[in-house]
Amino acid sequence: MNRIIEHPVIDQGQAKPEVHFTFDGSPLTGFRGEAISSALFAAGIKKFSEHVKDGTPQGIFCANGQCSQCSLIVDGVLRKACVTLLRDGMDLRTVRGLPELPADDRPAASTRIRRIAAEVLIIGGGPSGLAAAAELAERGFSVVLADDKADLGGKLVLQTHKFFGSEEDCYAGTRGYDIAKILEKKVRAYPNVRILANSPVVGIYKDRAAGVYENYEHYLLVDFQALVVAAGARERSLVFPGNDLVGVYGAGAFQTLVNRDLVRAASKVFVIGSGNVGLIGSYHALQAGIQVAGICEILPKVNGYKVHADKIVRMGVPIYLNTTVLSVEGDGKVERVTIAVVDKDWNPLLDTARTFEVDTVLVATGLSPCDEFYRQAVSFGFTAVKAGDAEEIAEASSAMFGGKIAALALAKMLGRDVSIDQAWLDKREVLKSRPGDTVCRDEPVMGQTWKPVFFCNEEIPCNPCATVCPTHSILLSPRKGSLLDLPYFQGENCKGCSACVAACPGLAVSLVRLVDDVHAEVQIPFEFDASGYQAGQKLGLLDQDGGFVEEGELLKKFYNKKYRTWVLTFRMSAANSPKAIGVRIQPEEATRPLREPRFSYLPDEAIVCRCERVFVGEIVDYIKANNVRDVNQLKTIRVGMGACGSKTCSTLLPQIFRKAGVEPAAITPGSLRPLMLEAGMGDLVNEGYTEAAE
Amino acid sequence: MITSDVLIIGAGSVGVPLALYCAERGLSTVVLEKNASWGRGQNRAAIGGIRATHSDPAKIKISQESIRVVRALQEERNIDVEWRSGGYMFVAYDPEREKAFRDLLVIQKAAGLDIDWIGPDRVRELAPGIRADGLLGGTYSPGDGYASPLMVNSAFHRLAMQAGADFRFGENVLSMRTENDRIIAIKTDKGDYSAATVVNAAGADAAEIASMVDLEIPVHPDCHEAGVTEPVARFMEPMIVDIRPDHESGNYYFYQAETGQIVFCITPKPQAWGKDTDNTSGFLPLVLRRMIELYPRLRNIKVRRTWRGMYPMTPDGLPIVNRPRGLDNFMLAVGMCGQGFMLGPGLGRILAQTIADGAPAPADAHVFEELTLYRKFEGMEMLK
Ligand SMILES: Cc1cc2nc3c(=O)[nH]c(=O)nc-3n(C[C@H](O)[C@H](O)[C@H](O)COP(=O)(O)OP(=O)(O)OC[C@H]3O[C@@H](n4cnc5c(N)ncnc54)[C@H](O)[C@@H]3O)c2cc1C
Ligand SMILES: Cc1cc2nc3c(=O)[nH]c(=O)nc-3n(C[C@H](O)[C@H](O)[C@H](O)COP(=O)(O)OP(=O)(O)OC[C@H]3O[C@@H](n4cnc5c(N)ncnc54)[C@H](O)[C@@H]3O)c2cc1C
Ligand code: SF4
Ligand code: SF4
Ligand code: FES
Repeated sequence: MNRIIEHPVIDQGQAKPEVHFTFDGSPLTGFRGEAISSALFAAGIKKFSEHVKDGTPQGIFCANGQCSQCSLIVDGVLRKACVTLLRDGMDLRTVRGLPELPADDRPAASTRIRRIAAEVLIIGGGPSGLAAAAELAERGFSVVLADDKADLGGKLVLQTHKFFGSEEDCYAGTRGYDIAKILEKKVRAYPNVRILANSPVVGIYKDRAAGVYENYEHYLLVDFQALVVAAGARERSLVFPGNDLVGVYGAGAFQTLVNRDLVRAASKVFVIGSGNVGLIGSYHALQAGIQVAGICEILPKVNGYKVHADKIVRMGVPIYLNTTVLSVEGDGKVERVTIAVVDKDWNPLLDTARTFEVDTVLVATGLSPCDEFYRQAVSFGFTAVKAGDAEEIAEASSAMFGGKIAALALAKMLGRDVSIDQAWLDKREVLKSRPGDTVCRDEPVMGQTWKPVFFCNEEIPCNPCATVCPTHSILLSPRKGSLLDLPYFQGENCKGCSACVAACPGLAVSLVRLVDDVHAEVQIPFEFDASGYQAGQKLGLLDQDGGFVEEGELLKKFYNKKYRTWVLTFRMSAANSPKAIGVRIQPEEATRPLREPRFSYLPDEAIVCRCERVFVGEIVDYIKANNVRDVNQLKTIRVGMGACGSKTCSTLLPQIFRKAGVEPAAITPGSLRPLMLEAGMGDLVNEGYTEAAE
Repeated sequence: MITSDVLIIGAGSVGVPLALYCAERGLSTVVLEKNASWGRGQNRAAIGGIRATHSDPAKIKISQESIRVVRALQEERNIDVEWRSGGYMFVAYDPEREKAFRDLLVIQKAAGLDIDWIGPDRVRELAPGIRADGLLGGTYSPGDGYASPLMVNSAFHRLAMQAGADFRFGENVLSMRTENDRIIAIKTDKGDYSAATVVNAAGADAAEIASMVDLEIPVHPDCHEAGVTEPVARFMEPMIVDIRPDHESGNYYFYQAETGQIVFCITPKPQAWGKDTDNTSGFLPLVLRRMIELYPRLRNIKVRRTWRGMYPMTPDGLPIVNRPRGLDNFMLAVGMCGQGFMLGPGLGRILAQTIADGAPAPADAHVFEELTLYRKFEGMEMLK
């Protein structure tokens, strides 16, 4: 069983009830109420279907209910594995070709239209939707909030790392899933908010109504006066040969499996993309005991926060810059990935190819806003706002602010006399901002007493180190005059409490003090399991960039419960002590490429439309032969006609048009129509529904 | 000023095949379309049914021609348009409907259509699982079928392009000028045109185009919504039409496409006149209730997408195809109601011949007589 039993920062929680089910007839066990996809991954099953077009094996891609790739047959009916919850006795089957429609010919039971009304409908219960709900509820609005997941909190639920941002505004330093619980509790306390969890909004209609697929079982129409679209973002697919193999999926999907459902989804991964999602995903992999062979990034610079990148590199994960993925290959599943350096026109240099043997490739090349409902609402002339990632891809901290601000803006549109505090707007801007400059720090001055050393030299919106210091000795030194400013130690008042060391989400603070002329003690943060380390043991200490500093002797280890972080104290040479900040986790062998690269390079054989399996080459040819300038016309070759409703492929189309010699500006986009997610006919008419069944 | 033999306003169900046949006859052909590409007016909304089983000889004639053309696309030109000769089945669950269908059979057979009455067993053979309770039988016409409107229109577009037709997308016809009973200039937001023959194939906007030359035509769009499901393995063959009205809807019809999806559509009651083609919340509960009452096993199929479009309706449910009096070079090919997709290909062929030769072939003359603008517009075609 690929279950994660020990995890350095996630609690197992209560023991979940075990249930029995079958997959293609073989008996298996899993946990009641977990996603079927997770139960199958835990049982080592990663292939869920064979595509109707050519029998190609298919696995998961988004694990977020968006892409539909993980569909399989559940008790005779095709369902998405990632949003269908496991029950005792389920009969699961691989889909081969077109599924049979069950010959369930019992006469139709009674049907009904269910309808409720609210002043405001909020689509999405992540940080922005929850923040908006609280703000609107506070002002007396009746609110319905629908979220497609069983647990509210959106992406926060997947985030086991401590948050950046500022502590007083957005719980920085706290782990994402804990923030989710705090926010949910707050919103649930309002009597005028009705929460529909596990219930996606599948369509909005011109008559100011939305269709909610309640519990993926019933259909509820919600009449509303105004709309908040806080549906977050979905992961972008990426076009490369082999992008459809079982074992290529989104970094978010990986986090769902590993962090939410505690499934060891892979044994070794390679990550494409060095944004925060890719960096954090890699970190989460290591924490779950999964090796990371490397990260590649096509840009010349790491795209995410430097503190994240630094800590990943220190753990022993190489980041290959100016490098793209050439191909992923294997026999029906991922076996190896090949990367290569790109030239200044982004063309890969095949003679720089390197091949790694991995079983999973994570795509972390960006997110695109789920703003379809907003665009539709605007075209219908509705009163609507968008918030969080649906408005602009950023961070949870700014999403929370964005939610509040959007709520107030909406209240104003609805005629309430409200004004939006300029300070909020400013804060949101700062929280949203890209990293500022990278600043050179002075050599730390050491003394007999503890003092923090900062390995944080890129300006990011972050301040937990400063907020937790009981003696207020850490201050952001005014350069930009905002949260972006870097922390510095001021004065002589460090108690050596190590709160700053444990709280820093970037693991970028150490404490140092001299014990004699040549020796020093250092305290460094550690987010892996340190229970095996013994005092007196020697460990290799690393600098900011992962370079070996020297062996230090472990004097003491201390577990900070609040931040779920170990603080390790070492004795080492005084001269080197200001450099030490980490301990290597992953052995170097794990990251070695094959001696000779092994790949074939067939760039036209990459999938664009995953649902319908349409390749780049086919689309380019079709565009050229038919003079296509309208995305809608690609439906003729089935692009965008799949189960996901084009959510996955639509973001890739501009680059495909460009490849066909058509400038994206000249293209008419595809039209938006309900349903956003497929729903059963019987469910849509509430066949046989009784209140008692609730 | 761009001049051509034929200028077609509207690259839709009618305009695109017409462009092909005009170009194939060597006529220089320009097509003006306000949308960004072909078929984005109402052709995109059609669900794909093609039948020759109407109650009116002109429509029968045109549709028979269409079926030949669409089959030929697939069978002779080797272009996949997902045509399937699955037949049409009008089902009867009450004596009133049974009698009406049987009466119609007389006319339909007289017109040489391959259609007959079938009993409940045969109905259930063609559509396993359809409700047996109360089923009296139905009419079945195996030569009818369905194809993808998208693929058919795209095929015609490509062939027309290759034959030399000049498609101008994103161009809105704004006005027309007449002189001595002729249209001498057509103005769009991008340029000026003139042509020996100007065809109004503007679908739901046909009345606006006609009014540019002070001609009033009785074409009024009414809205219908439609939807498509996920694909499943084939379990039913024909297009099923249930024409029984109930308190909130008229007829509804659905079929299983060549690729396995169920495509469906309903006529709401009261009819939704106007041009608002945004989806409404009432459609799915309405149509699906009727569908699963008729065909319970559909309860487990998932709806994928829905849309709304217009039937360019005329008062009697028949198209208007002729040259209006006092406008010698104007041709109307409008008012296709709920059948423009199936009428377009055949009509394109008949019209192109008429335009090229100056007069309809003797065998087609009745089409123009019957579908004239100057008829009385009485009654309503029963299988509209
Ligand atoms: C891997 C990763 C790491 C991150 N790390 C950090 C970090 O360290 N610090 C930080 O500040 N931010 C981080 N973020 C960003 C942060 O999580 C997001 O910016 C934030 O969650 C956005 O909030 P939101 O409310 O807009 O959307 P989400 O949190 O995505 O919530 C939207 C919710 O709406 C639901 N939804 C979508 N469509 C529908 C529908 N049709 N009907 C009903 N519900 C729907 C979604 O499923 C989801 O539950 C990270 C993001 C990722 C992916
Ligand atoms: C839900 C639904 C289901 C249907 N199912 C079927 C079916 O199964 N079978 C069937 O045969 N029919 C069906 N129909 C009917 C069919 O869609 C229409 O009858 C047909 O598309 C009309 O064809 P047309 O060429 O007249 O109009 P269109 O295809 O709409 O073409 C007219 C074109 O003219 C353009 N135009 C208008 N004004 C201007 C201007 N000023 N300048 C430039 N261009 C202009 C428009 O943009 C449009 O593209 C269905 C309709 C609906 C709504
Ligand atoms: S160790 Fe404690 S007292 Fe010292 S700087 Fe850090 S938080 Fe402040
Ligand atoms: S040192 Fe302070 S500002 Fe820098 S990442 Fe750590 S907590 Fe944030
Ligand atoms: S990827 Fe789902 S429709 Fe293209």
